[in-house]
Amino acid sequence: MSSDVVISCRNVGKAFQLYSHYNDQLKQALLGFWKKFYHQHWVLNDVSFEVRKGERIGIVGRNGAGKTTLLQIICGITTPTTGSVEVHGRIAPILALGAGFDGSLTGRENARIGGAILGLKRNEVERRLPAIAEFAGIGPFLDQQVKYYSTGMVSRLAFAVCAHADADILIIDEALAVGDEAFQAKCERYVEEFARHGTILMVSHSLDYLRGISDKVVWIDGGKVRAFGAPEPIIAEYRAAILSEAAPVGA
Amino acid sequence: MYFVVPFERAWHHRELIRAVVRRELKSRFRGSLLGWVWAIAAPLAMLIAYTFVFSVALPVQSQNISITEYAGNIFCGLIVFNLFSELAYRAPMLLHEHSSFVKKSIFPSEAIAWIASIRAFVYAGISFVVLIVFRLVTAHWLPVTILLSPLVILPFALLMLGIVWFLMGLGAFTKDVAHLMISIVPIMMFATPIFYTLDQIPPEFVPWLKLNVVGDYIEMLRALVMHGQLPNLVMYFVCLIVSYVVFLLGYAFFMRYKSVIVDVI
Repeated sequence: MSSDVVISCRNVGKAFQLYSHYNDQLKQALLGFWKKFYHQHWVLNDVSFEVRKGERIGIVGRNGAGKTTLLQIICGITTPTTGSVEVHGRIAPILALGAGFDGSLTGRENARIGGAILGLKRNEVERRLPAIAEFAGIGPFLDQQVKYYSTGMVSRLAFAVCAHADADILIIDEALAVGDEAFQAKCERYVEEFARHGTILMVSHSLDYLRGISDKVVWIDGGKVRAFGAPEPIIAEYRAAILSEAAPVGA
Repeated sequence: MYFVVPFERAWHHRELIRAVVRRELKSRFRGSLLGWVWAIAAPLAMLIAYTFVFSVALPVQSQNISITEYAGNIFCGLIVFNLFSELAYRAPMLLHEHSSFVKKSIFPSEAIAWIASIRAFVYAGISFVVLIVFRLVTAHWLPVTILLSPLVILPFALLMLGIVWFLMGLGAFTKDVAHLMISIVPIMMFATPIFYTLDQIPPEFVPWLKLNVVGDYIEMLRALVMHGQLPNLVMYFVCLIVSYVVFLLGYAFFMRYKSVIVDVI
């Protein structure tokens, strides 16, 4: 039973340390055992949940609720201040599309490095390059420097690389909102396809889409898990909560 | 166990390190007509300049050494020192340069030290080949001991990696490290036997200069490449141990603060 669990967050908390002076960071790192040089700001607090193999988990929450930080912790980009995270399987994070791209290199070269970051071997990347190019659908631009790309083209290529990384777990942060409708539809088809064998964790503000695709939904509110379970009721409740907050502004 | 962890991690990320090193080497000369010719032309021009300066402008006093050998000695010292100074200048800024990698993808930031070091060693390697060819052309022979030079270069690489990890970690917290390097590296150049050799120094200063590990490596490499001698074995093993300790401590230091660094850069 427990071998099914691919992601397990136990009491995860993350505090960012806010400094009044830039160099206080160094003082803290060297003299932190002696004196505190910062104010703590807790972004996540006591977050616990488990994701089983093959589940599609949607994450909802308002801006600043801690969703992105949670995904970063699960991906291992940053470490939790308290609690622990255990992940079994290879993750393909689609967090900030094209953030790691170097403008002076061609799309093909960036795809090679992107693939290597995701843990692919060189010949594996080479073998997948045609498929990546096909998926991205940017045609001859693949051999142009990325600095001449449009934002949409960068995102297309970056998504295409992640989509061909052979991952076990796909972690998507708002990434599907990029690109034109045709590309969005392609991405959504890919996510559905992926969901048949892999695990998905997805942050999105398009609630209808999440409700359609998720098995379960996590609602993060003020750094805590406010609800975790079946999508329908949670999304309805979440929608009501944001509407009630938005109402006074509209009135 | 602990002694090999840095190597295991690097081996684990070898595909990534290779991909980024290839990119850096390729992009360095992109957009230039002559490309890699520059990588050879720059050290060659330097070597010719030194030969000229010490044969015509500032003739060498010493009788028992030829001008080309003198120039070779200096060039050998400069290859090692330039490698060190390039890394020392660049290391404090490395994480800032790669911040989008480190913050937004699952990029192992400790690999950046390997990437920067390998890059620097590739360029130094080109200069080294120029030196060997120069020596072959001017002296018509090469000492057999040159074959042992990897035994000196590899521990030196460990020393450099350790230093890069230290500076890279500290540099993420404060920009002062970069300024500090700009101030002290040129001074260190005088405390390093580049334009002189240790036997030209008053004996009471020699023990102090020997504390400079970079200088010790220069002397050892010179012994192998220029003089066909074996380096002092005591010195060799002391340098080996010091380098390995710096390597391990640098790695431990960086890994200790790695998770904090992501949040501060």
